[in-house]
Amino acid sequence: MRAEGPRPEPGAPSTAPAPAITDPAAPRVAPANGTAEPQGVAASTADGEWLRVHPASPFVRGWVALAAIGFFFGRDVFERALQGRPILEDEFAGRAPWLLAGGGIILAIAVLGFILTWYFTKYQVSGGYVRVNTGFIFRQQRQARLDRVQAIDIEQPLLARIFGLAELKFEVADAGESAVRLAYLTMEEARQLRATILARAAGVAVDPSRPDGPAPEAPEYPVLAVPPSRLIGSLLLSEQSVFVLLGGVASVVLSAITDNRGFYFYLIPAALGLAASYWNLFNKGYNFTAAISPDGIRLRYGLLDTQAQTLPPGRIQALKVGQPPLWRALGWYRIQVNVAGYGGVENAAEGSARTTLLPVGRLEDVMAILALVLPDPGTANPADVFGAGLHGLDSDGGFVTTPRRARLLAPLGWRRNGFAATDTALLIRSGRCWRELVMVPHQRTQSLALHQGPLARRFRVADLVLHTTVGPVTPRLRQAGEEQALALFDAQSARARLARKRQTTEQWLAQVAPGTPLGDAGLPGKPAAGPELASEHQPAEGPAETPIPTQKGQHHG
Amino acid sequence: MHTGAIDPPGIIWQRVSPKYVTVRLVEWALANLITVLLLSLPLVFVLLGVWAWPPLWLAVTVPAVALVLALWRLVLIPRQVRAIGYAERDDDLLIRTGIFFQRTMAVPYGRMQYVDIGVGPVERGLGLCTLKLHTASPGTRAHIPGLPAAEGARLREQLAARGEARLAGL
Repeated sequence: MRAEGPRPEPGAPSTAPAPAITDPAAPRVAPANGTAEPQGVAASTADGEWLRVHPASPFVRGWVALAAIGFFFGRDVFERALQGRPILEDEFAGRAPWLLAGGGIILAIAVLGFILTWYFTKYQVSGGYVRVNTGFIFRQQRQARLDRVQAIDIEQPLLARIFGLAELKFEVADAGESAVRLAYLTMEEARQLRATILARAAGVAVDPSRPDGPAPEAPEYPVLAVPPSRLIGSLLLSEQSVFVLLGGVASVVLSAITDNRGFYFYLIPAALGLAASYWNLFNKGYNFTAAISPDGIRLRYGLLDTQAQTLPPGRIQALKVGQPPLWRALGWYRIQVNVAGYGGVENAAEGSARTTLLPVGRLEDVMAILALVLPDPGTANPADVFGAGLHGLDSDGGFVTTPRRARLLAPLGWRRNGFAATDTALLIRSGRCWRELVMVPHQRTQSLALHQGPLARRFRVADLVLHTTVGPVTPRLRQAGEEQALALFDAQSARARLARKRQTTEQWLAQVAPGTPLGDAGLPGKPAAGPELASEHQPAEGPAETPIPTQKGQHHG
Repeated sequence: MHTGAIDPPGIIWQRVSPKYVTVRLVEWALANLITVLLLSLPLVFVLLGVWAWPPLWLAVTVPAVALVLALWRLVLIPRQVRAIGYAERDDDLLIRTGIFFQRTMAVPYGRMQYVDIGVGPVERGLGLCTLKLHTASPGTRAHIPGLPAAEGARLREQLAARGEARLAGL
């Protein structure tokens, strides 16, 4: 499998990621296509120059249409040839030129349409915006602010992968559709464009001699990989498999009771659907790797269609660590996230793959991912707190659980339903069988609400709901004691307010203090429990919290 | 006014206009009376002897239950309207609703993406409007119905100004 991600260049000071971006002496990615290549994002790209996608892309996108035309005209001929009949019948022969001409015209129109589509699709990265113009009858001009980027994905469907092409998706916080979809670029261009967008969005100082040249790609450090054997195991032990097993047993029993063999016929479509679902999960989860770079978290996965996601720092709105009951014996977890812009994906399977931060992993993988998502855990002993969130009961790790008086409302879960607030995030855990830990960084809290129904009022408990962007995670603290819920409601409003004040700019290099080695924080050997993280942390209310990074940000911006 | 145990203490809630009860009554009439009338049709047919199937007790019970539920909702409307409250705090807007299923919500000014004012036909007749707040989360279903039009406009300007001052990224 071709690893498409950037590698730290030999000459780059790979131990210090942040300086590596700004250092003009660092070797750039070689302009492989040369400066003469018109659509290459080459070093000579002037600011505001409009670029086109790869000429082959409409054919890769529209191969279905071409195949349909070919099928329509080819089928008849093929069938006749198979049946040994003359390819052209007598009365037909007279009309053949007309038909051929008609087919040729349709084909020509299709190809012309492709060429025009390609010709009128242009993109540009300049002045803090990425702009894309599409369409030749109904023109569309779209521009998106670079500092609003929520995620950048590079996708390679199988056919595009054969041709070495890739699609780049640029997500802003609109849950409707991708802000920018460029299909297709060559892999090299796509990576280069991603690096440029991320560098501009991060507020990296541009090289004064070549202010509009492409940015060098940020170095990255692998954090974890999911071996295929574990992925297969996780699929076999998933909730879905339990239902398959139950359904199988039920159908065998039913057919034995009713003595009806025809019963199995009804299972065929179900089996096909299940096989497709398993295949989809396997295809999407295969070869899953996570890496950290100053640009953010890089995820790569896929067997036939490969995808590379980049989530810039601080773009994760909420995170959920889950453990189905069957995974408990093996100590496996899965992590899903809410990212603005990933929400309303038209294809549900694609959406679930994109919002999965870890399809299956062990405890140390979970801790490594948590350290990436939340570089500053905001507590002195993160391993204890997060560990208690994953498998603790009662008040371990400082969690506040459902009061004993409400145990009838949640007979199994009342010792586990609970919350703990660190200085940077709120942790909500729930579930005795389906264990779950939800984490919401304080600065990502949108709004929050307390809910109380008549039964809950009888037991003097209330639910606290944190509102977050569209996604698989819905943070809800269940059955907290009234007083604790009310106190948390006030405290959480205050914490979110403070966190918002601290976060003043969208350009994340300004927020990550230069001394904070992002790469180190995510190394597998040092999970979230790293003492250096704790020692760097200062009290949340400290007035001297931000000045240095803020000045840095203004300097960059 | 009625405040629940989940309301932060010491908040002075702003009430919505009592005229909003009229709006709710019209909505109630449209929804419930039509339902009850439709459910009463079988009873009419059975009484006229056109239909044989639904036994008389069933034909009577179904619309009767619907009518009782509708009347129950009708009785609740004034209390529900009185239970709607909002309060502007320094950094967020509090909204509370509900009697049985209570909800108290805090929407930070810095998180508001945009503010809508909607006016329905009945509301327009009474000089009322509905204010809707939108954040980046679809879970924030923050409506303040039944505001006098002037108060709605004032609140919108106020929220926009405060949001501008405290605007935060996503």
